[in-house]
Amino acid sequence: MSDTLRRPAEITYAAEIEALKASDSHPKPQGWVLSPQAVMTYLMGGTAGGTEISAKYVGNRRLIETAVATLATDRALLLLGVPGTAKSWVSEHLAAAISGKSTLVIQCTAGTDENQVRYGWNYAQLLAHGPSREALVPTPLFRAMESGSLCRLEELTRMGSDVQDTLITVLSEKMLPIPELNDAVFANRGFNVIATANDRDKGVNELSAALKRRFNVVVLPLPDDMNEEIAIVTKRVAEMAVSLDLPAPKNVADEVKRLLAIFRELRSGETLDGKTTLKRPSGNLSTAEAIAVTVGGLSHAAFFNKGDLTAESLAPNVIGAVVKDPVQDKVVLEEYLETVLKKRRDYSDYYQALTELV
Amino acid sequence: MAASVSYFGIRHHGPGSARRLLEALDELQPQEVLIEGPADLSHLLPMLASSSMKPPVALLAYPAGMPELSVFWPFAEYSPEYQAVCWAVRNSVPVRFIDLPVPWRVEMHVEEEAADAEADVEDGAEMETAPEAKGPEAKDPETGATAELSGESDISADPIGALAEAAGYEDGESWWQDVIEENPAPGPVFEAVEMAMAALRECEVELGDREAAREAHMRLEIAKSAKAGEGPVAVVCGAWHVPALKAKHAAKDDRALLKGAVKQKISATWAPWTSPRLAFASGYGAGVAAPGWNLHLWRTPGPDKTTRWVARIARALREKGHIVSTASLIETERLAVTLAAVRQRPQPGYEELREAAVSCLCFGNGLVWEIISTELLLGSETGEIPDDVPMAPLLEDLQRQQKKARLKPEALERELSLDLRSDSGLFRSTLLHRLDILSVRWGRQLDAGRSRGTFRERWMLAWQPEFAVQLVENLIYGASLEQAASGRMKTRLQEVHELGQLADLVLNAMTAQLPDAARNGVKLLGDRAGQTSDCSELLAALPALSDVLRYGAAREVDTDQLGSLFERIATQASLSLTYAVRGLDAEASEAMRNHIQAADNAIRLLDDRPGLLESWQHALRAIVDEPQANRLVSGLCARLLYEADLLSSEEAVDLLSRMLSPGTEIGDAAAFFAGFLEGAGQRLLYDEGLRGCVDGWLMSLEEEAFTEHLPLFRRVFSQMDKSERRRLMDALFGRSRSGGTRLVLTPDGDARWQAHFKIVTRLLTGESHG
Repeated sequence: MSDTLRRPAEITYAAEIEALKASDSHPKPQGWVLSPQAVMTYLMGGTAGGTEISAKYVGNRRLIETAVATLATDRALLLLGVPGTAKSWVSEHLAAAISGKSTLVIQCTAGTDENQVRYGWNYAQLLAHGPSREALVPTPLFRAMESGSLCRLEELTRMGSDVQDTLITVLSEKMLPIPELNDAVFANRGFNVIATANDRDKGVNELSAALKRRFNVVVLPLPDDMNEEIAIVTKRVAEMAVSLDLPAPKNVADEVKRLLAIFRELRSGETLDGKTTLKRPSGNLSTAEAIAVTVGGLSHAAFFNKGDLTAESLAPNVIGAVVKDPVQDKVVLEEYLETVLKKRRDYSDYYQALTELV
Repeated sequence: MAASVSYFGIRHHGPGSARRLLEALDELQPQEVLIEGPADLSHLLPMLASSSMKPPVALLAYPAGMPELSVFWPFAEYSPEYQAVCWAVRNSVPVRFIDLPVPWRVEMHVEEEAADAEADVEDGAEMETAPEAKGPEAKDPETGATAELSGESDISADPIGALAEAAGYEDGESWWQDVIEENPAPGPVFEAVEMAMAALRECEVELGDREAAREAHMRLEIAKSAKAGEGPVAVVCGAWHVPALKAKHAAKDDRALLKGAVKQKISATWAPWTSPRLAFASGYGAGVAAPGWNLHLWRTPGPDKTTRWVARIARALREKGHIVSTASLIETERLAVTLAAVRQRPQPGYEELREAAVSCLCFGNGLVWEIISTELLLGSETGEIPDDVPMAPLLEDLQRQQKKARLKPEALERELSLDLRSDSGLFRSTLLHRLDILSVRWGRQLDAGRSRGTFRERWMLAWQPEFAVQLVENLIYGASLEQAASGRMKTRLQEVHELGQLADLVLNAMTAQLPDAARNGVKLLGDRAGQTSDCSELLAALPALSDVLRYGAAREVDTDQLGSLFERIATQASLSLTYAVRGLDAEASEAMRNHIQAADNAIRLLDDRPGLLESWQHALRAIVDEPQANRLVSGLCARLLYEADLLSSEEAVDLLSRMLSPGTEIGDAAAFFAGFLEGAGQRLLYDEGLRGCVDGWLMSLEEEAFTEHLPLFRRVFSQMDKSERRRLMDALFGRSRSGGTRLVLTPDGDARWQAHFKIVTRLLTGESHG
């Protein structure tokens, strides 16, 4: 057991990648560690020469196929989606499986400037010897071009639009000019970019049309399957309860189920039986939010409700998650309570708790 | 010497299959072409090759006089059967159908319907698919559709699926597309498919009776042709049947299978079809996933079909106002090709192109794709039939029903009064209503509008010759009047977006006895109601719905579902009402007032639903208490509450004097006044307190303001008749303090009655005065 809190994918899953490499018979694009088919197996699970490959992404296979196919052309990949849809997770594993290296990452923020995207200068060198390749401080993008591997850009849209546009030449001409040296870095085969972004959040910058059309966009959806989502939430809640030292009552799984039913109905705009259409609130009610609501409920239960997780302990957080716009979302929630929850006997405690608070 | 027989196993509506078939026919030059299709309708086949016949069309057959039992055999331009017929006519080769005659199919159809009906009883929520769209092939094994429809995984249910699975494909459609439809190098395809089917059929033990009979019939017919024929005979049938048709069976056994054939007179004709109805999604089991894509494949056989498809996607997107650059098209095509390589398919199919288009052209946004996909994948082609086809079933049905209803089409206007309680009255009314839906305005309803409260209908009848033409145009919706009206109603339901109109159409469908369309409409209402946030739209739906609920109970519609829908819409409307009555201009407030008035009537009519009226009146109360609410509307709400005894006289007086007090702007006060009194002027006669209050307000107006509001007062008071107005005057000017109309209980009434009663008894019994 190493002391590292979390190791990159290519180390954690080294055995699987080796097994896939050994049994890979399909043609590989130049610069790729595995063939596209083997990359698919790595992500979606399967077997390779007797080794069990775990599924890294549970969901629509076609989306991942589109993503892998995009990287096999010279187009860059943009993974789009609301928070908590495994964008970064997919991007890390794609990089690990394709280049064998997932650590060339640029974390884009509002404070990221061009020097962190293209290259910086070692000023001591610059002053001592003048501009030269030695005085350059390469960025992950720079290194990825040189080594012909994948570079990951996390949260691309959080970076200022002007800085984002630095990427245009790199993506279309696969070349990074260094005008100071009258030189340029030409990308080796195998280089490509995976960006993740969030188009609905606050504090994000629009992608310019010029940049957008250099990406193929794959939108990762929220989990399709209810049981899958219940499993994800229950597992994460249990993990967080342990790390926060919160006792987890026995009925957590049941409450998660009921909570997710409400979340999924409001999120999808129809009841689970598909018989009634509903309005959607403005918040996105992602899996991540369901986790947060449950953990909030656990904390309330532990400190104020003698350890019982009940509808009353969850209700305030549910309202916080649903009602993001005080007028519109309130109407949406009221309508949902009156037309749907009111009639369900097994939800009467939620109905009461929520109605009181609304 | 018997002629040689060649078998061509095709896939229904497969363009690649059709192309291979034409090549094979050119090579073989058969002397006769036999096609899988009802043998007794062969005489209609040559018409299919007529130049004024534009596919998609369908062969339509029904037992004489019963068009509601119609069965259809649709043909698209890319259907191998259609191409085979055209080839035969072009080459002057006899062509005929060899499958079981129509009566068998009709019987089958009826059984299926019955089975479906049972299934529906078990699962009441399931919406029935349009029965007229469900061809006889609905459960055909070779389509690959059954598995998707019913979730079976059995080989016989989906032979192509089993083959595809063996080839490592996820779904049968893609496999067939790659190996047959899109195979760029033609090989001995028919042999290969046949071998595969033979292998599959070996695993298949049980063959349904119907299947066995069909194949027996085809075998006999083929043998007949082979015996009589001079040259080679070509048999065109679904791939699944080929091994069975080739197999040796004693003619005697085959004939035994065909015993007990039903004898029935059959009417048959061609009917125009539409391309969306060739799709699985329309309920046609032998349909294809994307008729638009199939048509594209047929019309664009060359290697540039991918590029042209991408260009069509781009054009559709541009028409919808999206900016799509040529460079993006290149990238879309490249992605599609790579995607096909990742999936190990020889070339991109429409799924790859779809995913590439979503990723490159729609920026990952699936909704944008949804907008164009219907038009692109389903297409919008409508078939045409020549003028000389046999008489359309709709006309025949009309004549039959006219006879039954004893109504002659006469050009001169004639008035007709119907009593809906009698069967004949109801029948006639239904007929006229259905024709009305089909835009054949033979009858004009004289007392149109909300007449469902009575059992009487008055119509003005006048037949015009062009009605016949208009009627035939409805053939794409169905073959009998009922089916056509139902189909047309469903189309109209799809086009309408306003809740109120939708509810009116549902009422219409109920009146015309179209339960299927009505169910459809109720479902749509539910969907739309969930999405709309426009309160007046919700309110507008209530009156029609309550009419349906009150008067439609005798008809075949699930009023439970409608009832809960009514409750839901009413609840939704109550919740959003307070927000909807703010900041309305004169026109909008007028409309809102009418909506609320009508909705209030509707909700009060259905007062058996617990809590509904309360929450509605609660909402009305909230409006009255809401200072920002439009005054006209809040005036009306106050009156509604007053009438419902939820606002006492004292409260009403307080409210009026507050609303009409000098501090309020004159315009607002007048609006409230109008809202409160318009249509209810009589109340002033009886309610002294109210009268005093109104009187006080009127007197306090300055002359200028008074003149300004004169039109309003006139409007309010003009609704009272002369004597009422006189009584109001009397009341106001003190000639009769209380208006003289109020009866008061006398405290000693009981004792007085006793005395009176004694006198009467005495008079009746003839007793003399004491």
